[in-house]
Amino acid sequence: MNNQTISEHDRRRKRALIAFQIVFYGYLLTMFLTQMYMYSQRDW
Amino acid sequence: MSAASMRLGGGHTALDDHDDKSRQAQRRADTWMISGALFLGTAILGFIGLPLYLRGLSIQSQAERQGLSVRPVIVTLIGYLVIIDAALNSFGWALDMIAHHTLVARVFLTTWGAMFDGGYFWHYNELWIGGATAPGEKSWEIALLPVVFCMRLAAAIGFLQMKRWGQQWLVVTCWFGVVAWTGYVANMTIFADVRYAHVAFPVWGWWLYDIFYITPFLAIPYLHSVNREIFSE
Amino acid sequence: MSPSSTPSLPLGTSPAFAGMHKWLKRGLIVCLTALVIEGAFTVPFCFIYYGWPTLSLQDVCSELMRVRYSDDNVVCQYPYPLFGPAEGELAKKTAQDRWGVLPRPLYKRIGFRELVTIHNERLARQAASKT
Repeated sequence: MNNQTISEHDRRRKRALIAFQIVFYGYLLTMFLTQMYMYSQRDW
Repeated sequence: MSAASMRLGGGHTALDDHDDKSRQAQRRADTWMISGALFLGTAILGFIGLPLYLRGLSIQSQAERQGLSVRPVIVTLIGYLVIIDAALNSFGWALDMIAHHTLVARVFLTTWGAMFDGGYFWHYNELWIGGATAPGEKSWEIALLPVVFCMRLAAAIGFLQMKRWGQQWLVVTCWFGVVAWTGYVANMTIFADVRYAHVAFPVWGWWLYDIFYITPFLAIPYLHSVNREIFSE
Repeated sequence: MSPSSTPSLPLGTSPAFAGMHKWLKRGLIVCLTALVIEGAFTVPFCFIYYGWPTLSLQDVCSELMRVRYSDDNVVCQYPYPLFGPAEGELAKKTAQDRWGVLPRPLYKRIGFRELVTIHNERLARQAASKT
Protein backbone atom coordinates (compact mmCIF):
# COMPACT_ATOMS: atom_id res chain seq x y z
CA MET A 1 0.00 0.00 0.00
CA ASN A 2 1.51 3.34 -0.98
CA ASN A 3 0.65 5.19 2.16
CA GLN A 4 3.88 7.18 2.15
CA THR A 5 3.59 8.74 -1.30
CA ILE A 6 0.48 10.36 -2.61
CA SER A 7 -0.26 9.15 -6.13
CA GLU A 8 -0.15 11.65 -8.95
CA HIS A 9 -3.81 10.93 -9.60
CA ASP A 10 -4.77 11.76 -6.02
CA ARG A 11 -2.62 14.89 -6.07
CA ARG A 12 -4.35 16.18 -9.20
CA ARG A 13 -7.76 15.28 -7.79
CA LYS A 14 -7.00 17.16 -4.59
CA ARG A 15 -5.88 20.23 -6.51
CA ALA A 16 -9.01 20.14 -8.67
CA LEU A 17 -11.28 19.87 -5.63
CA ILE A 18 -9.54 22.79 -3.92
CA ALA A 19 -9.74 24.84 -7.13
CA PHE A 20 -13.46 24.12 -7.26
CA GLN A 21 -13.90 25.40 -3.70
CA ILE A 22 -11.95 28.58 -4.44
CA VAL A 23 -13.83 29.28 -7.68
CA PHE A 24 -17.21 28.71 -6.16
CA TYR A 25 -16.75 30.59 -2.91
CA GLY A 26 -15.17 33.32 -5.01
CA TYR A 27 -18.34 33.49 -7.08
CA LEU A 28 -20.50 33.70 -3.95
CA LEU A 29 -18.28 36.38 -2.45
CA THR A 30 -18.45 38.37 -5.69
CA MET A 31 -22.23 38.22 -5.70
CA PHE A 32 -22.38 39.22 -2.04
CA LEU A 33 -20.07 42.18 -2.60
CA THR A 34 -22.05 43.20 -5.68
CA GLN A 35 -25.23 43.19 -3.64
CA MET A 36 -23.61 45.14 -0.82
CA TYR A 37 -22.41 47.69 -3.35
CA MET A 38 -25.95 47.95 -4.73
CA TYR A 39 -27.19 48.42 -1.15
CA SER A 40 -24.79 51.30 -0.67
CA GLN A 41 -25.84 53.00 -3.89
CA ARG A 42 -29.60 52.54 -3.81
CA ASP A 43 -32.05 53.64 -1.19
CA TRP A 44 -33.02 50.28 0.29
CA MET B 1 -10.96 -0.30 16.25
CA SER B 2 -12.73 -1.79 13.24
CA ALA B 3 -14.90 -4.88 13.25
CA ALA B 4 -12.50 -6.52 10.78
CA SER B 5 -9.76 -6.73 13.40
CA MET B 6 -11.99 -8.93 15.57
CA ARG B 7 -12.63 -11.59 12.92
CA LEU B 8 -12.81 -15.10 14.52
CA GLY B 9 -13.92 -18.56 13.32
CA GLY B 10 -17.37 -19.63 11.93
CA GLY B 11 -20.77 -19.73 13.71
CA HIS B 12 -22.32 -16.94 15.71
CA THR B 13 -19.25 -15.18 16.93
CA ALA B 14 -18.37 -12.17 19.01
CA LEU B 15 -18.01 -10.39 15.67
CA ASP B 16 -21.61 -11.17 14.69
CA ASP B 17 -22.70 -10.02 18.11
CA HIS B 18 -20.75 -6.81 17.71
CA ASP B 19 -22.18 -6.31 14.21
CA ASP B 20 -25.73 -6.85 15.43
CA LYS B 21 -25.33 -4.47 18.33
CA SER B 22 -23.72 -1.87 16.06
CA ARG B 23 -26.49 -2.15 13.50
CA GLN B 24 -29.17 -1.89 16.15
CA ALA B 25 -27.55 1.14 17.77
CA GLN B 26 -27.14 2.83 14.39
CA ARG B 27 -30.75 2.11 13.51
CA ARG B 28 -32.03 3.50 16.82
CA ALA B 29 -29.96 6.64 16.46
CA ASP B 30 -31.07 7.08 12.85
CA THR B 31 -34.75 6.69 13.64
CA TRP B 32 -34.57 9.57 16.10
CA MET B 33 -32.32 11.69 13.92
CA ILE B 34 -34.30 11.27 10.69
CA SER B 35 -37.60 12.07 12.43
CA GLY B 36 -35.98 15.07 14.06
CA ALA B 37 -34.43 16.20 10.78
CA LEU B 38 -37.74 15.97 8.92
CA PHE B 39 -39.55 17.97 11.60
CA LEU B 40 -36.74 20.53 11.55
CA GLY B 41 -37.12 20.65 7.80
CA THR B 42 -40.73 21.72 8.02
CA ALA B 43 -39.58 24.93 9.74
CA ILE B 44 -43.06 25.40 11.18
CA LEU B 45 -42.73 22.27 13.35
CA GLY B 46 -39.03 22.87 13.95
CA PHE B 47 -39.31 23.01 17.71
CA ILE B 48 -40.54 19.43 17.84
CA GLY B 49 -37.63 18.30 15.70
CA LEU B 50 -34.82 19.70 17.83
CA PRO B 51 -35.15 17.39 20.86
CA LEU B 52 -35.77 14.35 18.62
CA TYR B 53 -32.64 15.09 16.63
CA LEU B 54 -30.47 15.68 19.70
CA ARG B 55 -31.69 12.42 21.24
CA GLY B 56 -30.56 10.54 18.14
CA LEU B 57 -27.20 12.30 18.18
CA SER B 58 -26.62 11.32 21.79
CA ILE B 59 -27.51 7.66 21.07
CA GLN B 60 -24.97 7.65 18.22
CA SER B 61 -22.22 9.24 20.39
CA GLN B 62 -22.97 6.79 23.19
CA ALA B 63 -22.67 3.85 20.77
CA GLU B 64 -19.35 5.16 19.53
CA ARG B 65 -18.06 5.53 23.08
CA GLN B 66 -19.07 1.92 23.78
CA GLY B 67 -16.83 0.86 20.90
CA LEU B 68 -19.59 -0.13 18.47
CA SER B 69 -18.94 0.20 14.73
CA VAL B 70 -21.10 3.01 13.60
CA ARG B 71 -20.98 4.92 10.34
CA PRO B 72 -18.04 7.34 9.83
CA VAL B 73 -18.92 10.65 11.49
CA ILE B 74 -18.43 12.64 8.30
CA VAL B 75 -20.91 10.41 6.45
CA THR B 76 -23.44 11.02 9.22
CA LEU B 77 -22.82 14.76 9.07
CA ILE B 78 -23.16 14.98 5.30
CA GLY B 79 -26.24 12.75 5.25
CA TYR B 80 -28.12 14.70 7.88
CA LEU B 81 -27.01 18.06 6.58
CA VAL B 82 -28.32 17.14 3.15
CA ILE B 83 -31.61 15.87 4.63
CA ILE B 84 -32.20 19.01 6.69
CA ASP B 85 -31.08 21.28 3.82
CA ALA B 86 -33.32 19.49 1.31
CA ALA B 87 -36.24 19.30 3.75
CA LEU B 88 -36.08 23.00 4.68
CA ASN B 89 -35.96 23.95 1.03
CA SER B 90 -38.58 21.41 -0.05
CA PHE B 91 -41.13 22.07 2.66
CA GLY B 92 -40.66 25.82 2.44
CA TRP B 93 -41.15 25.79 -1.30
CA ALA B 94 -43.92 23.23 -1.15
CA LEU B 95 -45.79 25.63 1.16
CA ASP B 96 -45.15 28.40 -1.34
CA MET B 97 -46.26 26.31 -4.31
CA ILE B 98 -49.28 24.52 -2.89
CA ALA B 99 -50.25 25.90 0.52
CA HIS B 100 -49.79 29.57 -0.21
CA HIS B 101 -53.29 30.54 0.91
CA THR B 102 -53.25 28.81 4.28
CA LEU B 103 -52.95 31.22 7.20
CA VAL B 104 -49.78 29.79 8.68
CA ALA B 105 -48.02 29.67 5.28
CA ARG B 106 -49.06 33.22 4.45
CA VAL B 107 -47.75 34.48 7.80
CA PHE B 108 -44.54 32.41 7.71
CA LEU B 109 -43.61 33.27 4.13
CA THR B 110 -44.55 36.94 4.17
CA THR B 111 -42.83 37.53 7.53
CA TRP B 112 -39.72 35.82 6.19
CA GLY B 113 -40.11 37.92 3.07
CA ALA B 114 -40.48 41.21 4.92
CA MET B 115 -37.46 40.33 7.00
CA PHE B 116 -34.93 38.81 4.57
CA ASP B 117 -36.12 38.41 0.99
CA GLY B 118 -38.67 40.78 -0.53
CA GLY B 119 -39.45 38.24 -3.23
CA TYR B 120 -41.71 36.54 -0.67
CA PHE B 121 -43.38 39.76 0.36
CA TRP B 122 -43.76 41.90 -2.77
CA HIS B 123 -47.19 41.29 -4.32
CA TYR B 124 -47.32 37.94 -2.52
CA ASN B 125 -50.09 35.65 -3.80
CA GLU B 126 -50.87 37.82 -6.78
CA LEU B 127 -49.88 35.32 -9.47
CA TRP B 128 -52.59 32.91 -10.59
CA ILE B 129 -50.32 30.15 -9.34
CA GLY B 130 -50.02 31.90 -5.96
CA GLY B 131 -46.97 32.29 -3.76
CA ALA B 132 -43.83 34.30 -4.36
CA THR B 133 -43.87 36.75 -7.23
CA ALA B 134 -40.22 37.79 -7.57
CA PRO B 135 -39.10 37.45 -11.20
CA GLY B 136 -37.85 33.94 -11.80
CA GLU B 137 -38.60 32.69 -8.30
CA LYS B 138 -41.55 30.48 -9.17
CA SER B 139 -39.59 28.97 -12.06
CA TRP B 140 -36.74 28.08 -9.74
CA GLU B 141 -39.22 26.47 -7.35
CA ILE B 142 -40.84 24.42 -10.11
CA ALA B 143 -37.44 23.33 -11.44
CA LEU B 144 -35.75 22.54 -8.13
CA LEU B 145 -38.45 21.19 -5.86
CA PRO B 146 -39.50 18.02 -7.71
CA VAL B 147 -36.13 17.45 -9.36
CA VAL B 148 -33.23 18.50 -7.15
CA PHE B 149 -34.57 18.44 -3.61
CA CYS B 150 -36.63 15.27 -3.84
CA MET B 151 -33.75 13.46 -5.49
CA ARG B 152 -31.30 14.85 -2.96
CA LEU B 153 -33.45 13.68 -0.05
CA ALA B 154 -33.63 10.16 -1.49
CA ALA B 155 -29.91 10.10 -2.23
CA ALA B 156 -29.07 11.22 1.31
CA ILE B 157 -31.10 8.41 2.81
CA GLY B 158 -29.30 5.90 0.59
CA PHE B 159 -25.99 7.52 1.50
CA LEU B 160 -26.70 7.17 5.22
CA GLN B 161 -27.43 3.50 4.61
CA MET B 162 -23.92 3.28 3.12
CA LYS B 163 -25.32 2.23 -0.24
CA ARG B 164 -23.29 2.74 -3.41
CA TRP B 165 -26.25 4.22 -5.28
CA GLY B 166 -26.68 6.71 -2.41
CA GLN B 167 -23.11 7.94 -2.78
CA GLN B 168 -23.38 8.12 -6.57
CA TRP B 169 -26.69 9.95 -6.62
CA LEU B 170 -25.54 12.31 -3.92
CA VAL B 171 -22.70 13.32 -6.25
CA VAL B 172 -25.19 13.98 -9.05
CA THR B 173 -27.64 15.93 -6.90
CA CYS B 174 -24.90 17.99 -5.24
CA TRP B 175 -23.72 19.09 -8.67
CA PHE B 176 -27.35 20.02 -9.40
CA GLY B 177 -27.06 22.11 -6.24
CA VAL B 178 -24.05 23.94 -7.67
CA VAL B 179 -26.10 24.89 -10.73
CA ALA B 180 -29.01 25.91 -8.49
CA TRP B 181 -26.87 28.17 -6.31
CA THR B 182 -25.25 29.79 -9.34
CA GLY B 183 -28.52 30.62 -11.07
CA TYR B 184 -30.51 31.51 -7.98
CA VAL B 185 -27.94 33.97 -6.62
CA ALA B 186 -27.50 35.53 -10.06
CA ASN B 187 -31.28 36.01 -10.32
CA MET B 188 -31.36 37.64 -6.89
CA THR B 189 -28.56 39.99 -7.84
CA ILE B 190 -30.17 41.08 -11.09
CA PHE B 191 -33.57 41.69 -9.48
CA ALA B 192 -32.05 42.93 -6.24
CA ASP B 193 -34.45 45.88 -5.93
CA VAL B 194 -37.44 43.55 -5.56
CA ARG B 195 -35.53 41.26 -3.21
CA TYR B 196 -33.98 43.73 -0.84
CA ALA B 197 -35.71 47.13 -0.97
CA HIS B 198 -37.21 47.95 2.44
CA VAL B 199 -36.76 44.53 3.99
CA ALA B 200 -35.75 44.43 7.66
CA PHE B 201 -32.26 42.99 7.11
CA PRO B 202 -31.25 43.66 3.51
CA VAL B 203 -28.45 41.69 1.85
CA TRP B 204 -26.52 40.66 4.97
CA GLY B 205 -29.66 39.11 6.54
CA TRP B 206 -30.29 36.80 3.60
CA TRP B 207 -26.63 35.84 3.26
CA LEU B 208 -26.14 35.22 6.96
CA TYR B 209 -29.23 33.02 6.98
CA ASP B 210 -28.66 31.17 3.72
CA ILE B 211 -24.88 30.71 3.66
CA PHE B 212 -25.31 27.58 5.79
CA TYR B 213 -27.08 25.91 2.87
CA ILE B 214 -23.75 25.43 1.10
CA THR B 215 -24.00 21.68 1.72
CA PRO B 216 -23.23 20.72 -1.90
CA PHE B 217 -19.92 22.57 -1.84
CA LEU B 218 -18.81 20.79 1.29
CA ALA B 219 -20.14 17.41 0.22
CA ILE B 220 -18.65 17.39 -3.30
CA PRO B 221 -14.98 17.29 -2.26
CA TYR B 222 -15.70 14.49 0.20
CA LEU B 223 -17.80 12.46 -2.25
CA HIS B 224 -15.11 12.72 -4.91
CA SER B 225 -12.27 11.77 -2.58
CA VAL B 226 -13.79 9.09 -0.34
CA ASN B 227 -12.89 5.46 -0.97
CA ARG B 228 -16.02 4.14 -2.66
CA GLU B 229 -15.39 0.63 -1.39
CA ILE B 230 -16.91 1.55 1.96
CA PHE B 231 -20.28 1.90 0.23
CA SER B 232 -21.82 -1.45 -0.54
CA GLU B 233 -24.47 -3.03 -2.78
CA MET C 1 -8.00 -4.77 1.16
CA SER C 2 -8.37 -2.32 3.98
CA PRO C 3 -10.11 0.88 3.00
CA SER C 4 -7.90 3.01 5.22
CA SER C 5 -4.16 2.52 5.56
CA THR C 6 -3.72 3.50 9.21
CA PRO C 7 -6.10 2.81 12.12
CA SER C 8 -6.28 6.50 13.08
CA LEU C 9 -7.92 7.57 9.81
CA PRO C 10 -11.69 7.40 9.52
CA LEU C 11 -13.21 4.73 7.30
CA GLY C 12 -13.00 5.73 3.65
CA THR C 13 -10.38 8.44 4.12
CA SER C 14 -6.96 7.86 2.56
CA PRO C 15 -3.88 9.74 3.83
CA ALA C 16 -3.90 12.00 0.77
CA PHE C 17 -7.22 13.46 1.75
CA ALA C 18 -7.03 13.28 5.54
CA GLY C 19 -6.44 17.03 5.96
CA MET C 20 -9.19 17.95 3.52
CA HIS C 21 -11.68 15.63 5.20
CA LYS C 22 -10.81 17.10 8.62
CA TRP C 23 -11.62 20.62 7.46
CA LEU C 24 -14.73 19.49 5.61
CA LYS C 25 -15.92 17.81 8.80
CA ARG C 26 -15.50 21.06 10.72
CA GLY C 27 -17.38 23.04 8.07
CA LEU C 28 -20.14 20.43 8.06
CA ILE C 29 -20.52 20.60 11.85
CA VAL C 30 -20.85 24.39 11.66
CA CYS C 31 -23.44 24.21 8.86
CA LEU C 32 -25.39 21.41 10.53
CA THR C 33 -25.55 23.26 13.86
CA ALA C 34 -26.65 26.44 12.12
CA LEU C 35 -29.34 24.68 10.07
CA VAL C 36 -30.69 22.88 13.12
CA ILE C 37 -30.94 26.19 14.99
CA GLU C 38 -32.44 27.93 11.97
CA GLY C 39 -34.92 25.11 11.43
CA ALA C 40 -36.11 25.32 15.03
CA PHE C 41 -36.11 29.05 15.60
CA THR C 42 -36.94 30.74 12.29
CA VAL C 43 -40.71 30.50 12.55
CA PRO C 44 -40.92 31.61 16.21
CA PHE C 45 -38.50 34.46 15.49
CA CYS C 46 -40.45 35.65 12.42
CA PHE C 47 -43.77 35.39 14.20
CA ILE C 48 -42.58 37.25 17.30
CA TYR C 49 -40.79 39.95 15.30
CA TYR C 50 -44.06 40.79 13.55
CA GLY C 51 -46.21 40.95 16.65
CA TRP C 52 -47.39 37.45 17.51
CA PRO C 53 -48.76 36.50 20.06
CA THR C 54 -49.91 40.06 20.90
CA LEU C 55 -51.55 40.09 17.50
CA SER C 56 -53.29 36.93 16.28
CA LEU C 57 -51.89 35.24 13.17
CA GLN C 58 -54.78 36.61 11.16
CA ASP C 59 -54.02 40.14 12.41
CA VAL C 60 -50.33 39.76 11.56
CA CYS C 61 -51.33 38.54 8.09
CA SER C 62 -53.72 41.48 7.59
CA GLU C 63 -51.25 44.10 8.84
CA LEU C 64 -48.54 42.77 6.54
CA MET C 65 -51.00 42.87 3.67
CA ARG C 66 -51.79 46.49 4.48
CA VAL C 67 -48.10 47.41 4.37
CA ARG C 68 -47.62 45.40 1.19
CA TYR C 69 -50.48 47.08 -0.64
CA SER C 70 -50.25 50.47 1.12
CA ASP C 71 -53.95 50.22 1.86
CA ASP C 72 -55.57 50.18 5.30
CA ASN C 73 -58.70 48.43 4.13
CA VAL C 74 -57.39 45.05 3.00
CA VAL C 75 -57.91 42.06 5.23
CA CYS C 76 -56.51 38.52 5.25
CA GLN C 77 -59.41 36.21 4.73
CA TYR C 78 -59.32 33.17 6.94
CA PRO C 79 -60.13 30.50 6.00
CA TYR C 80 -59.44 31.41 2.40
CA PRO C 81 -62.12 30.06 0.01
CA LEU C 82 -60.73 26.92 -1.61
CA PHE C 83 -61.35 27.88 -5.22
CA GLY C 84 -61.25 31.65 -4.81
CA PRO C 85 -59.06 34.02 -6.82
CA ALA C 86 -55.45 34.64 -5.83
CA GLU C 87 -55.42 36.78 -2.68
CA GLY C 88 -53.48 39.62 -4.25
CA GLU C 89 -55.78 39.88 -7.27
CA LEU C 90 -58.27 41.96 -5.34
CA ALA C 91 -55.73 44.22 -3.63
CA LYS C 92 -53.13 44.84 -6.30
CA LYS C 93 -54.42 48.21 -7.51
CA THR C 94 -53.23 50.06 -4.42
CA ALA C 95 -49.67 48.69 -4.38
CA GLN C 96 -46.96 51.34 -4.63
CA ASP C 97 -44.17 50.37 -7.00
CA ARG C 98 -41.80 51.93 -9.44
CA TRP C 99 -42.33 49.77 -12.49
CA GLY C 100 -39.87 49.00 -15.23
CA VAL C 101 -37.69 46.11 -16.31
CA LEU C 102 -36.28 46.11 -12.76
CA PRO C 103 -39.32 46.79 -10.55
CA ARG C 104 -38.78 48.56 -7.25
CA PRO C 105 -41.22 48.27 -4.34
CA LEU C 106 -42.03 51.44 -2.40
CA TYR C 107 -43.59 49.98 0.76
CA LYS C 108 -42.08 50.83 4.13
CA ARG C 109 -39.59 48.84 6.17
CA ILE C 110 -41.17 47.27 9.27
CA GLY C 111 -39.19 47.37 12.53
CA PHE C 112 -39.23 44.98 15.49
CA ARG C 113 -42.86 44.56 16.63
CA GLU C 114 -43.79 47.74 14.78
CA LEU C 115 -46.89 46.01 13.46
CA VAL C 116 -48.31 45.99 17.00
CA THR C 117 -47.91 49.80 17.21
CA ILE C 118 -49.37 50.27 13.74
CA HIS C 119 -52.31 48.04 14.59
CA ASN C 120 -53.02 49.78 17.90
CA GLU C 121 -52.74 53.23 16.34
CA ARG C 122 -55.22 52.27 13.65
CA LEU C 123 -57.71 50.96 16.21
CA ALA C 124 -57.30 54.19 18.20
CA ARG C 125 -57.88 56.24 15.03
CA GLN C 126 -60.98 54.27 14.16
CA ALA C 127 -62.33 54.59 17.70
CA ALA C 128 -61.63 58.35 17.68
CA SER C 129 -63.31 58.84 14.31
CA LYS C 130 -66.39 57.01 15.52
CA THR C 131 -66.87 59.34 18.53
